Amino acid sequence: MIVKDEKLSVCVNKTIRFSFEREDNLLTAMENKNIDVHFHCREGFCGACRTKLLSGKVEYKVDPLACIEDDEILACCCIPVTNVEIETY
Amino acid sequence: MKYTTFNQQTTNTMEEPMFFGAPVNVARYDQQKHPIFEKLIEKQISFFWRPEEVDVSKDRVDFQKLTDAEQHIFTSNLKYQTLLDSVQGRSPNIAFLPIISLPELETWVETWSFFETIHSRSYTHILRNLFSDPSDIFEDIVTNEEIKRRATDISKYYDDLIYYTQLYQTQGEGVYTIDGQTHDVNLRALKKKLFLCMNSVNALEAIRFYVSFACTFAFAERKLMEGNSKIIKFIARDENIHLTSTQHILNLWIKGKDDPEMAEIAKECEQEAKDIFLLAVEQEKEWARYLFKDGSMLGLNEEILSQYVEYIANQRMSAIGMGQPFNVSSNPLPWMNNYLASDNVQVAPQEAEISSYLTGQIDSEVASAEFEEFEL
Repeated sequence: MIVKDEKLSVCVNKTIRFSFEREDNLLTAMENKNIDVHFHCREGFCGACRTKLLSGKVEYKVDPLACIEDDEILACCCIPVTNVEIETY
Repeated sequence: MKYTTFNQQTTNTMEEPMFFGAPVNVARYDQQKHPIFEKLIEKQISFFWRPEEVDVSKDRVDFQKLTDAEQHIFTSNLKYQTLLDSVQGRSPNIAFLPIISLPELETWVETWSFFETIHSRSYTHILRNLFSDPSDIFEDIVTNEEIKRRATDISKYYDDLIYYTQLYQTQGEGVYTIDGQTHDVNLRALKKKLFLCMNSVNALEAIRFYVSFACTFAFAERKLMEGNSKIIKFIARDENIHLTSTQHILNLWIKGKDDPEMAEIAKECEQEAKDIFLLAVEQEKEWARYLFKDGSMLGLNEEILSQYVEYIANQRMSAIGMGQPFNVSSNPLPWMNNYLASDNVQVAPQEAEISSYLTGQIDSEVASAEFEEFEL
């Protein structure tokens, strides 16, 4: 059974694991954990925060305009909706 | 194929390639083959700004306080940016519009070029404020050897594509000798020229502005030339969108999501495209060397700027499948991000400097003489 309050877990580069505290987006969540992530616009159009999504699902809060592959996400404008494993560049 | 401003044949733009298909007719956006361009137009228009909204009058005082070496850095960067936007304000229109087959892409290119003309106007706005007569600065752009060398590399791919398109659209395919030079005009060769040109534009938007941006924001970190820095923040935000568009065009070709022949050409020209990017990186590093020839400025030197160019190049080359050729993984100038983040561009009205909310120029200096008429 899925407990509603259960926090989603985020695994970065196979080594760092933390729970998503309902931050505005995945980029802020990673920054709060002092993970070095690239960023510029923070609005989904520059692509600097491009991150590989190894497993799980994310949801976009604004339409991502930057160029990404099918297995990539833009950390600045998405939140995880399941547990996710990601890899930064 | 002859260019027409309104193609009277019925075309299905959902099946046309981005370039070199049937000429466009109705400017309709209800159906789009590549909706990303419509989204970019919306985003870009939402970023509309005017240089006159930014009060640059304090910059004149700051400029007098700069050392000679710093003044050289500041004006040289403005000259280089003026060159870049002079080219970008006209070239995408002239080179790409006659060969575009999708209305959403056509409108994107027009929107993109229009914003480059705003950038050009803003350089005049900045320079007019700093110098009573900015003519010397503008005139030097066409005679300065350092700038000329870059101008050649930036414009040659555009000029080549434009010339061959003109031959193709007026004469058709064939071999033509003009002024003693032979030109083999065929669609495949034209598409190759388009691919190389788009790579050159992509490298320009990705790399060529960033040494100048870094210097501008380094001045702003010292609370100097802040009006100028506000304008450059707007420009940097726009350039990021333009870059996204060229990355989309290149990736649509590379991944075979548009014209299948362009996918072949992308493969064929992979190394040549990469070399264009790497040359832009090299030229930006040389530019940093030229800027700092008389001395560096606080917080920046040639080495750290070169590292920043490599750092940016890694990100932007990997976005179009060129890998990360440079050994720089972390950002050597982390404070740059404060100026590149989009939500930092709109300044809150309660902040001391509300220049982005001005609708006209104001006099930000109040002399004590102005209170003479007041009596207590």
